[in-house]
Amino acid sequence: MANNVKISLRQFTVLIMFYTIGTTILVIPAPLAADAGQHAWIAAIVGWLLGLLVVVLYVSLGKLFPQMTFIAYIEHTFGKWLGKPISLFFIFFSFVTSSIVLYYIGNFMTTQIMPETPIGAFVILFAGIVLMGLRLGLEVLARTAEILFPWFLLLFTTLTLFLIPEIEIQKIRPIIEIGFKPVIRAALVFAGTASLPMVVFLMIYPMSLNEKKGAGKAFYTGTLIGGIFIIIITFLSVSILGAELSAKNMYPSYALSKKINVGNFIQRVEILMAGLWFLTIFFKATFYAYGFISGIAQVFGCKDYRPFVIPCGMIMIAFSLVVYPDVVYMSDFESTVYIPFVISAGLLLPLFVLITGLIRKRMMNNQGVESDDE
Amino acid sequence: MVRLLSVLVSVFLLLSLLSGCWSRRELDELGIAVGIGVDKAANGYRVTTQVVSPGEIAAARPSGNRTPVTVYETTGSTIFEAIRKITTKSSREIYLAHLRVLVIGEALAKEGIHKALDHFSRDHEVRTDYFVIVAKGATASDVLKVLTPIEKIPANYLYLALDSSQKLWAPTATITLDELITDITSEGKNPALSAVRVIGKQISQTQKNVESIEPPGFLKYSGLAVFRKDKLIGWLNEKESKGYSYITNNVESTVGAIACPGGGKIAVEVIKSKTKIKGKVRNGKPNIDIVVKMEENVGEVECEIDMTKRETISELEYAAKLRVEKIIKNTIKKVQSDLKVDIFGFGEAIHRADPAAWKTLKQNWDEQFAQLDFNVNASVKIRRIGTVANSFHKEGVE
Repeated sequence: MANNVKISLRQFTVLIMFYTIGTTILVIPAPLAADAGQHAWIAAIVGWLLGLLVVVLYVSLGKLFPQMTFIAYIEHTFGKWLGKPISLFFIFFSFVTSSIVLYYIGNFMTTQIMPETPIGAFVILFAGIVLMGLRLGLEVLARTAEILFPWFLLLFTTLTLFLIPEIEIQKIRPIIEIGFKPVIRAALVFAGTASLPMVVFLMIYPMSLNEKKGAGKAFYTGTLIGGIFIIIITFLSVSILGAELSAKNMYPSYALSKKINVGNFIQRVEILMAGLWFLTIFFKATFYAYGFISGIAQVFGCKDYRPFVIPCGMIMIAFSLVVYPDVVYMSDFESTVYIPFVISAGLLLPLFVLITGLIRKRMMNNQGVESDDE
Repeated sequence: MVRLLSVLVSVFLLLSLLSGCWSRRELDELGIAVGIGVDKAANGYRVTTQVVSPGEIAAARPSGNRTPVTVYETTGSTIFEAIRKITTKSSREIYLAHLRVLVIGEALAKEGIHKALDHFSRDHEVRTDYFVIVAKGATASDVLKVLTPIEKIPANYLYLALDSSQKLWAPTATITLDELITDITSEGKNPALSAVRVIGKQISQTQKNVESIEPPGFLKYSGLAVFRKDKLIGWLNEKESKGYSYITNNVESTVGAIACPGGGKIAVEVIKSKTKIKGKVRNGKPNIDIVVKMEENVGEVECEIDMTKRETISELEYAAKLRVEKIIKNTIKKVQSDLKVDIFGFGEAIHRADPAAWKTLKQNWDEQFAQLDFNVNASVKIRRIGTVANSFHKEGVE
């Protein structure tokens, strides 16, 4: 395994940020508005705070294995026979989600922009870049994120500034009518899309960081910044499109950018704005795929994951074409199966590993103390 | 050798990308639709599509004997079918991204429009920046078949005339599809769309219409069409429509006449207007406060009045305030007594102000609306009186 790969804390922060925004930016206003109505942006804030709790879990888990990947630690803790099936579940999760993200980008293109082009064309092109990035390795990906960050910021700021004149504050009122349950439900959706998938970063956190000190802080900062972007998008969506239309739209952010019209001059720029989520979805797809491919390599005890990139990538592409037979299946899957799925992989699994790891550590310490006494 | 081969292979692979994208659309294969009209047909819809004839629009010297647009009329049990059926009549594929207006025929509007709108909100090609209007006393097909002067493309005429009348005269409403859908689905507001009439229907469909200096056939916006949910139930005249624009805070500028104290008239121009609606629930009864803040300029003086005195200005301000309040009151009363449907969004205001009370009020909001109490309070500031102080009337009369 490429143990000598090191990325800086700043790069890690940017990666986490891109990953948090990921596919979330494109779809999240719709489920949030469907559950929480005009309070969608409040739900986003609650989900953002919930996400921080998830990061607390990951950071404390990371402290247990500063020099190991998640998969290696699972085997270390549970032994070979129990550890491998548990790792396989984690790998399965990364595999399915990476294919889902590829499907997302393809589906967005065929629904909104080029309906005649087969989805495979987009998926293959997009996966091509993802696989190229993976072959070049973590360091290159991290530097890419660093270089693309200002561009992302530029596009996002432009989008926000151009949309400010369209905001109608009335649309988010009344604020006091807030219901506890719908907001929590929406916040869970937020955490499920934006925070829990970060479990795949345990494959590089904290082992592949050049500094261990402040690594946790970088994790928190990335999540916080990413969350702010999502909150802004949700707020814009609800205050411009209104709760009804946000909930009905399949891609509310795209509908939002169609609204841009500055003096009848700057208009119809939505395809430039789509660059925003191409960037973020690239990192989301890449790190899911990284979790899948490097996981496979480690489970089978290989030193380097790179030879696995192309074959695994082919499987991902093929699977992404069949992962959802239609979009209704997709939204059904997302609101039913996906939530327990992501909770098992992103919350229960790390929690389970953390508890077992802590118990083992204490046992070993006790043994150590006892043996010293003897 | 291997290196050379790999370079060659990658060059060829890149070349294949140069041929352009899969879903390419060549401009000369597209029929750009600028206006679509939807009417009721025996079973389904009659869809009228106004398509630009590029040769007549773009050419430096148009042939002159061809119309700048062509209208295709097709029927189908659904809108989508009808639009696709155009291909049997047209050489080009219809492209909807540049749509300017969607015209709804009166008969269809009376039956309900939500079914007809779905395709326009679902299709990826259609944007949301075109206006939705209702044909009054005509079919949508009549409206789209009128050739207009100055604007070669009649749909453009419909768009621009609506836009400028909204900005300068205020008795129209520029409603786009997503605003319309929001209003239809809202519990506390019902939609109102601009109404357009066709005058001189027979002559207006031929090139002859634009050959005379005063075209005998033309299109004219006249007031608003009022909907209950998605069904047309009545009309507002020009003055009431202006009241509607005041209430919904859509007045950018308009002109109104006020009576001089000593007879005669003065025309004032509204240069700024801002309306706030506040809802209140008192003893279970909804109550609406409408506060209008306006700035005006004097634009025409047709009476003997001393424009140099400060008292005159405050008198005029008071008269202007009464005028606006009266327009608003009359509009609300007319809608309350005749149409009994909340097109102003008062329900939404109540919802914002008192969400708990709204839960019970919304059960029978139409009846609640018909008897709700409202106060109108306008404040007018007259800022400027034009380029002259006193009118020349005084001297001229003597």
